[in-house]
Amino acid sequence: MHLQLAGISKFFPGVKALDNIRFDLLPGEVHAICGENGAGKSTLMNILAGNLQPDKGQILLNEQPVRIANPVHAASLGIAIVYQQLSLVDTLSVAENIFANTQPRNHWGIIDRAALLGQTRQLLENLQLQSIQPQILVGDLSQGQKQMVEVAKALSKHPAILILDEPTASITEREAGTLFAIIRQLKDSGKSVIYISHRMQEIFGIADRITVLKDGQYQGTQAIAEVTPTDLIRMMVGRDLEASDGPSAATREELLRVKDLSGNGFSQITFTLHRGEILGMAGLVGAGRTEIAQTLFGYLPRRSGEVWLKGRLLRVSHPREAIRAGLGYLPEDRKSQGLFMDKSLTDNIIAANFRAARPGNWFDSSVARELAQSYREKLRIVTPDVEQDVLHLSGGNQQKVVLARWLLADPDVLIVDEPTHGIDVGAKAEIYRLLRQLAAQGKGIILISSELPEVLALADRILVLREGTLAGELPGRGTTEEEVMALAAC
Amino acid sequence: METQTYTNPAKLTGPQPEKSRLRMDKLLQDRVYSLSITIVVICIVASVVFPQNFPTFENLSQLLLNLSIDTIVAVGMMLLLISGMFDLSVGSMVAFAGGLTANLMYFHGFPVPLAITIGLLSALLVGWVNGYLIAYQGINPMIQTLAMLGILRGGALLVAGAGIQNLPYWFNAIGQSRLLGIQMPVWYMLLTVAVFSFLVNRTIFFRRYYYIGGNAKAAELSGIEVKKMKQFAFILSAVLAAVAGILLTSRLGAAMSTLGRGLELRVITAAILGGASLTGGVGKIVGALLGALFMGIVANIMIIARISGLWQEIILGLILISAVWLDLYLIRRSRA
Amino acid sequence: MKKPPFLLCVCTLFLSVLNSCELPPRDGSAGVQNANIATMEAGAVNPNEEYVMITTAINMPMYVNHDQAAFRRWGEQMGVKVSILGPAEWDVPAQIETIEQVIASRPAGLLINGTDPGIAQAINKAVEAGIPTVVYDSDVPGSERHAFLGTDWYQIGQMQGEEMARLTGGKGKVAYMGILGLTNMEDGFRGLLDVLKKYPGIRVVGRYDDKASVELAARITSDLLAAHPDIAGICGFDSNSGPGIALAVKEAGKVGKVKITTVDWEPEHLLLVRDGVIQMLAGQKRELFTWYGAQFLYDMVHRTNRLSGNDAQSGISNVPTSVNTGLLRITRENVGQFLKR
Repeated sequence: MHLQLAGISKFFPGVKALDNIRFDLLPGEVHAICGENGAGKSTLMNILAGNLQPDKGQILLNEQPVRIANPVHAASLGIAIVYQQLSLVDTLSVAENIFANTQPRNHWGIIDRAALLGQTRQLLENLQLQSIQPQILVGDLSQGQKQMVEVAKALSKHPAILILDEPTASITEREAGTLFAIIRQLKDSGKSVIYISHRMQEIFGIADRITVLKDGQYQGTQAIAEVTPTDLIRMMVGRDLEASDGPSAATREELLRVKDLSGNGFSQITFTLHRGEILGMAGLVGAGRTEIAQTLFGYLPRRSGEVWLKGRLLRVSHPREAIRAGLGYLPEDRKSQGLFMDKSLTDNIIAANFRAARPGNWFDSSVARELAQSYREKLRIVTPDVEQDVLHLSGGNQQKVVLARWLLADPDVLIVDEPTHGIDVGAKAEIYRLLRQLAAQGKGIILISSELPEVLALADRILVLREGTLAGELPGRGTTEEEVMALAAC
Repeated sequence: METQTYTNPAKLTGPQPEKSRLRMDKLLQDRVYSLSITIVVICIVASVVFPQNFPTFENLSQLLLNLSIDTIVAVGMMLLLISGMFDLSVGSMVAFAGGLTANLMYFHGFPVPLAITIGLLSALLVGWVNGYLIAYQGINPMIQTLAMLGILRGGALLVAGAGIQNLPYWFNAIGQSRLLGIQMPVWYMLLTVAVFSFLVNRTIFFRRYYYIGGNAKAAELSGIEVKKMKQFAFILSAVLAAVAGILLTSRLGAAMSTLGRGLELRVITAAILGGASLTGGVGKIVGALLGALFMGIVANIMIIARISGLWQEIILGLILISAVWLDLYLIRRSRA
Repeated sequence: MKKPPFLLCVCTLFLSVLNSCELPPRDGSAGVQNANIATMEAGAVNPNEEYVMITTAINMPMYVNHDQAAFRRWGEQMGVKVSILGPAEWDVPAQIETIEQVIASRPAGLLINGTDPGIAQAINKAVEAGIPTVVYDSDVPGSERHAFLGTDWYQIGQMQGEEMARLTGGKGKVAYMGILGLTNMEDGFRGLLDVLKKYPGIRVVGRYDDKASVELAARITSDLLAAHPDIAGICGFDSNSGPGIALAVKEAGKVGKVKITTVDWEPEHLLLVRDGVIQMLAGQKRELFTWYGAQFLYDMVHRTNRLSGNDAQSGISNVPTSVNTGLLRITRENVGQFLKR
């Protein structure tokens, strides 16, 4: 099937998510789409899957214009999408998840359990996934296995076009190998695959052509043979990362010491953090980075191990105690964990330090407002008024609000978890500048990030985690992405 | 051979006893299994302690009769809970449907089948309205059905007033006849449980409720019309409540505006004891019967032991907390 | 190929099962009275002899202080076992279920609070099972109970109506409240209205459901006082109506101006009469319901009075069929005596 997109645009309040995008998918082609986070890849996928409608532009299937109304319609057109575990039900078996709403029936219209299990087993066998039993509950599977069930579910509909959205984000190398074999098999039978990823190695291994998006703009389409990874990065980023090479503010003075820390999803973690140092934490999704941060912060229970802050043994069982002791945590998902979306800028900024707005004994809202004003200017948060709900701010500005909260709380150690996730390039640069500034002031910063260039540019040292254990430590300067990935993946 | 191919690295790394403990935990987490065992044990103990009063045909058939109405309502509630919702208006629906049917027969001389049909149609309408406002207009189920609880209770007062007795003989026969010495409501209950158990297990239509309750977004993405299905669940719940109400009225030979007071919470308790969860996605229809059976046995033993009614509520409350806590404990242990 | 015989089997089974279906007896066709009552000799009291009282809303203070206290006292005096059962809430179906389950355990006698006409079936089951069964408080029409003791609620309404007419001089606005939908209350309302009809100067301005709640009764009353500042009197029909009405009238500073008549004589009712907030209470002799009710059961079991060779076989019972225990009229004049009790 031949799929073409012409002049697709999509607007969200305050953001132009897609602007005049072109895309062309030939039968029997593997076409990669790449771009940084926030480049518009997911929006594009959601339009193809029928979850979103474009504001402008046309979708053509075999030269016929179509309007993809909803996921069911997309499926009937032969488009199947592999979500990042979005469409699975934990309380049901693998078989029932794969054949959701399409269970095989006997001639009386009754679900044929034997056929359901048989067909599932057959399908999983074809996909080299015999290790997953059809009757097991999806909730009992590992992240990687779930991802493979998601693939099986999409393939059970025999699609002409298969869309894979970051499929290798949480799967093992062996499973990835299986996945690539499936992709090649599909390609040989004349099916098309849209492959979304920002892993160069995979893209160059599997794709025929590649389309690059940046900040919602179409950057170009190239045959894979005609580009190099360096060209591609330049297309994605638009310029060389300016974050590199700032002067390091790291000192030898020990600020935080973590010894044999174990908790949910990680064990035996030992490291130190110095004053003025930015310590990067790298690893794949599910390697335990966020869990370590949240355990240090008292949000998740600690199983064993010790933490010293400024030479004092730290015992925290609730974030409240962590904040008092001088820790700050900027969470990974700012929408659900970081912000009070329907509260004002002011309310959000003072949330971790109400005392700051209490000159006497009583909370003074005008003092709070003044504080918010000053941070708005300091961090260049773009908003007409500090009384505006943060809901209406752009991602970058929202992230600055969360950061402002922690600047106001003035912690000694600030843990930032994916601080630039889903924000635009300009705002990223400002966040990098702020983090550097904080380090220069003598604070210790732990930077958790999945964007390796960011870690490499900012961090003085990099801890690499793999499956909940410390896989190694690398210096911040002169390390390459490949060196980090070699430690992070097995 | 089967066990050889299954290698879940997260689960099977432990030594042998670990594995058998996990299997035991899994089995205990299946409420249908654990509750059945509990019921059998309680029955044996009760038969030993009260040999003259508990294990008699008269007592046991009475016990089943008393839980038949609750169970029929609980089947509808179970389906709602599976899809992550609940309906607080069922107790009032029981009173309203029974009252309306009796009113039509007694004051307006409607023939029995017509009166029953209208009673059921009224439930259809109520369920339709509940479902429409919840699924399509987005009113919270708790608020919508709480409001409907009040509306229907008032309506029941309107149609049943101070109570209606002397209902037609053939109407009373529906609930008072016996089959094999057991009163009909018990058979209707068993039939309802059997039919819905089969449908929910084996038809795509009813199977969809597990997807909706487990992950509504995923259900939508799998092509399930979530709103339509939700509305239907409310209709079904209301109609089953009306069936129960008409049956109860027939069995008592009288309509009362106070019928079904507090029934909604009793039924939700039974369904949760039977393995449902307020977050949805889990539960089996037969669990509704087991939950109601368990509560019925506890109540029966209390009466035989001449323990006052208030203790019954305290004990049931404690049992409910223990059951749910045990579940959470087993899940935590299996994850650790 | 396998299906036709299978289906045939199912059909045959179904039909044969259907054939064994027993319909309930038609009204009046059953010789319910003739069931044999398990009796004992007059003098011999068996300590295992058990009398069971079944009510609803088992911990309602009025029930506990009057009905249940007298019943327990009777049990102690007679040296027999007494048990009190029923749901904690006002839940008639649950009371019915309790009756039916108790029948299976064969007590010597059943004393049943006649909460609703709907319990007739359950009472008949007990009578059919040969258990002496006495109903108290309100009679249950259509039941074959052996005896009934209680108050005539129509009379309670009449008594309140007449007192209200006297207090208001036969003119002004009057409202009343209670639990709507309960048979005895509805009888009381009827009695009240029948009396008030005779006074053309009295206008009935409302009928309200206070759901036996003090808060609700008070709220209804204060709304009434706001809507009708000249209201002359309010009548209450359940235990909590009086305290609720009195509270709102006191808060509005209209004590004595708005006349109150109500039912029951719990300590708080009595104090309100003493203070002149409530003008009259129509009290029931609840102690007598259960004391004599239990005694009737005992007399049936022990055949204390033999009216024939075998009363059960003759189809008669040896206790009064229906007893009206009468009413107490409590006003400021005699309230002191009740407070001393």
